[in-house]
Amino acid sequence: MCTPAAGRGRVRLNVGGRVFETTAATLAGAGRDSMLGAMLDAAWNQGAEGEGEGVAEYFVDRDPECFAVLLDLLRTGGLHVPPQITEGALCREALYYGLLDRVRAARWGEFEGDRLRLAASVAGRAPGDGTAVRAAPDGGCCVAHGGVVRVYNWMLEERRPVYLDHAPVNDAAYLDEATLLVAARERPGRRDGGVAAFSALTGDLHHRFRIAHDRQIRSFTPGALAFDHRCKIFASCKGRFNEYGIGVWDYNTGDQADFFYEPPGCALGDADKLQWLDGTNTLMVTTMFPRTDNSFISLLDFRDKNVAWSWSDVGTPASLEDKHVLHAIAMEDGRSVCVINQYDDLGFLDLRNNAVGVRWRSRSKLTTRKKTHNEETCYPKLAAHDGQLFASTNDTISVFSGPDHILTSTLRGSDAGAICDFSIGGDRLFALHNEENVFDVWDTPPPPVI
Amino acid sequence: MSGGGPPRKRNFKIEEFKNRVELNPKYAERTWKVLEHAIHEIYNHNASGLSFEELYRSAYNMVLHKYGEKLYGGLESTMTRRLKEISRSIEVAQGGLFLEELNTKWMDHNKALQMIRDILMYMDRTYVPSSSRTPVHELGLNLWRDHIIHSPMIHSRLLDTLLDLIHKERMGEVINRGLMRSITKMLMDLGPAVYQDDFEKPFLEVSASFYSGESQEFIQCCDCGNYLKKSERRLNEEMDRVSHYLDAGSEAKITSVVEKEMIANHMHRLVHMENSGLVNMLIDDKYDDLARMYNLFRRVTDGLLTIRNLMTSYLRETGKQLVTDPEKLKDPVEFVQRLLNEKDKHDKIINVAFGNDKTFQNALNSSFEYFINLNNRSPEFISLYVDDKLRKGLKGATEEDVEVILDKVMMLFRYLQEKDVFEKYYKQHLAKRLLSGKTVSDDAERSMIVKLKTECGYQFTSKLEGMFTDMKTSQDTMQDFYAKKSEELGDGPTLDVHILTTGSWPTQPCPPCNLPPEILTICDKFRSYYLGTHSGRRLTWQTNMGTADIKATFGKGQKHELNVSTYQMCVLMLFNSTDGLTYKDIEQYTKIPASDLKRCLQSLACVKGKNVLRKEPMSKDISEDDTFYFNDKFTSKLVKVKIGTVVAQKESEPEKQETRQRVEEDRKPQIEAAIVRIMKSRRVLDHNSIVAEVTKQLQARFLPNPVVIKKRIESLIEREFLERDKTDRKLYTYLA
Repeated sequence: MCTPAAGRGRVRLNVGGRVFETTAATLAGAGRDSMLGAMLDAAWNQGAEGEGEGVAEYFVDRDPECFAVLLDLLRTGGLHVPPQITEGALCREALYYGLLDRVRAARWGEFEGDRLRLAASVAGRAPGDGTAVRAAPDGGCCVAHGGVVRVYNWMLEERRPVYLDHAPVNDAAYLDEATLLVAARERPGRRDGGVAAFSALTGDLHHRFRIAHDRQIRSFTPGALAFDHRCKIFASCKGRFNEYGIGVWDYNTGDQADFFYEPPGCALGDADKLQWLDGTNTLMVTTMFPRTDNSFISLLDFRDKNVAWSWSDVGTPASLEDKHVLHAIAMEDGRSVCVINQYDDLGFLDLRNNAVGVRWRSRSKLTTRKKTHNEETCYPKLAAHDGQLFASTNDTISVFSGPDHILTSTLRGSDAGAICDFSIGGDRLFALHNEENVFDVWDTPPPPVI
Repeated sequence: MSGGGPPRKRNFKIEEFKNRVELNPKYAERTWKVLEHAIHEIYNHNASGLSFEELYRSAYNMVLHKYGEKLYGGLESTMTRRLKEISRSIEVAQGGLFLEELNTKWMDHNKALQMIRDILMYMDRTYVPSSSRTPVHELGLNLWRDHIIHSPMIHSRLLDTLLDLIHKERMGEVINRGLMRSITKMLMDLGPAVYQDDFEKPFLEVSASFYSGESQEFIQCCDCGNYLKKSERRLNEEMDRVSHYLDAGSEAKITSVVEKEMIANHMHRLVHMENSGLVNMLIDDKYDDLARMYNLFRRVTDGLLTIRNLMTSYLRETGKQLVTDPEKLKDPVEFVQRLLNEKDKHDKIINVAFGNDKTFQNALNSSFEYFINLNNRSPEFISLYVDDKLRKGLKGATEEDVEVILDKVMMLFRYLQEKDVFEKYYKQHLAKRLLSGKTVSDDAERSMIVKLKTECGYQFTSKLEGMFTDMKTSQDTMQDFYAKKSEELGDGPTLDVHILTTGSWPTQPCPPCNLPPEILTICDKFRSYYLGTHSGRRLTWQTNMGTADIKATFGKGQKHELNVSTYQMCVLMLFNSTDGLTYKDIEQYTKIPASDLKRCLQSLACVKGKNVLRKEPMSKDISEDDTFYFNDKFTSKLVKVKIGTVVAQKESEPEKQETRQRVEEDRKPQIEAAIVRIMKSRRVLDHNSIVAEVTKQLQARFLPNPVVIKKRIESLIEREFLERDKTDRKLYTYLA
């Protein structure tokens, strides 16, 4: 019994027996690419057009409780889940309506290093030590340990794991949210291992990246992985013959595009970290102390096959010798490299100058070290994100901000031992703990209402 | 990860769960039937009876219960079947209806596809990515491409129809552009590759052969201007076509086809076309045609270069004729004016037709520089032109006009290589202007000096400025002289002295003639006055440069004021005491140099209307045996009679030689100074480098001759400024 004016734009939805009234505008907010948007589209309402003055009514055979939450999400943009609704049910319903992306967007806000909260701890079930954790661009992650890479979606549900001949995994990288690159060791006597691309969704092997030497396919052991913005994939390689250096593949063709043989004095094939620097079109290759006796960092320019910049701690005076650079990260401005040693000192290298030493920053002693002696320690790691610097030391991640890198936050989550690796991506930070392979998920809560 | 991804391996299959809840085995089949029916109904425009929610749920259930593959496969085969039917209905469409039918069906398919995708959205989101299938919308487009566009009955017919319509439009017919637009948009929607392979490539090929034929035809029967007009129109038509119904990416490609066929292939023939090519356009100032040529040629490689090269060679050729034609060298003012006109003409062409293109301006400048310097009298003539303008040419002109003319002269001046020669002449001409008081405007003179100064620096004009200062001080001195000595002087003749600083003026030392006693008195008075105020100076009279106004009474008592030179005055004063004198007498009394005296007597006795003297025997030339008498019968309508000396405007050949000699002489110290400057900073240098450096340094004033430079170096070695290196004879060392 509504007046035509009041009825215009109103929609009545009967969801599983419960009637909801809302406006077409609210539902249109779901987008044409959602079930609700399509249902209200003119193409599906041609017969009803004649009597269009009244309130349109639709029946949807779904659970009303979850729909209430999702309708509220469409109305307010905020997600408020009553305790009786499980995560799984909500996500299932959101997927039905095509609103899963909105649920994810409402779950956590834009990444802010100083506002992180521990969102979840996911118990691992790895038989051995975890090697690496990698954040996916969509908020999921993967954990590599032993011969398997376990893949989690952003709801932290485990997908099918990824194997490359069950060979031990050295590194993994998300090329995009659906594609996972895996670098696995070659085992003696078996021509396995290498670099391969998998579907992160299904775990299917897409492609194996080969190295050909004198037109012969060679098996090799890749160390670290990286890729640039034009879909070139890089991996540090150790082959059976002379294939020591950095292999390059074109992802679009799947073929080997280049090989940078290591020049004398440059340990490229052993590198344990690669990082593509967009600003200078160079690849940073770092080979660190535990793997070799001396730490070595270089920037490679593939256009003219040139070592554009390099640094090594070979020949550092004895008094400083005990300071080993253990991890390095190129800062986002592309002008310096931040390094860390076993005493958790931060240091900086200027990329614009060749042949300079590390400027150690004594005042940036990290947190007060609360070292329980029975715990196994892990080497510290670094990451840079949005102008902030992150460093893992034992079971803590320290956040440094501003141009002078002042310590602004510390993150300490699960009591599951030291952090052996961490990764930032998809507006989340994942920290992998050494014992039990638990990984902690840190994200930024949505901004407060007022 | 679609399409162009790396080769995939799909050698294992997800196994179904063993403990799955058994559904009614007919369930999947029944659900699919419902969906299949819906798809048909959608294609039949009969969707109003369908419930979206129900269909969506059905599709959801199929995917949920692992019938995704069946659903997807069913969709693919149903749609394929529908498209095959559609293909048949398009095939039977007759003639012009073909495109209409194709377009209508395409619209229908698009709409249906959207609705099908709505129903199968859940499958699109979940089953499709996890099984690496093509999304529904893309699948629909691919099937349309494969079964409609690439169907053997449609494929070539579609292309032929499109190309035929375009050909018709080129021939002037009106076609349905809206329909064309829809069809090309369809090809684009199917993917850039479809548009390019199935339409664009053949379209470009057909266009190329069309324009190649048409250009042949045009070039046979059109002159250059008309041809260009037609090409321009064709080019605009093609751009118009792209904007109306082709993809924007085609514009560059089709225009380059037209450019190549219509312009690039005929470029040389066009510019050289007899009676209508570039040169004729330049001669006739055809701004529109030239602008068209510029704009069209700019589009093709080397197009502008072709125009520029031809223009340059034309300019050089005509310029060379202009400056070397002896006929045209007779009047320097006319000569320079012609150069200026030429420059103006081409400036305007470049400005109006060539969009002020810098490269063309440079070509014009270099051409002028080339031919102006072909004639080594150019500096003199340019100076004469300025002289002419500053004497009388600028009378009545506004300040701006003066500036404009002077700026143009400066532009010619910039082209000159021998700027020092110009300076030499300019100094002479300026001196004459200043001393005879013929300057029209002091401001114009100074403005010219400022321009020269900005162009060539202080050094170049310091002496010229000194001349102006001299004029000013002379004026002050004369005022002071008359103020202080007026009672002493009485009623004698008035004397006006210009005191010229030696060195600033182009004066030649010249023995003074004998002045008449009346003048001599006052000259001596002035001398003593001047030396009294300025001790330590020396005054020499330059009697060859002065003028005098004298009053004379002739036979019938008529009085005339005669305006004569100092020499003439001396001669005439002799006739105060006697009526007749022989040449020898005059020479003896006055001591005027013979050549000057002859010229002076000639102008006094042989010019009609100004013959205040009578010569015996009567003849045109003066010989040493002539006798001169005071001409009693002299009459003139004017009270003031100006008796000019026969002055050479242009320099005669020997004078020219002399000036050149002096210029060469003046260059020597400059070259030497340059050598010393260079060697002082470089210490050791080889011969060729010195020559190069010296040329570079002196370029602003003149182009030094390498032979002269070599001589100067040798002279400097003699004077021990430099020495040859002991081991390498090509090297010179500076001796501090």
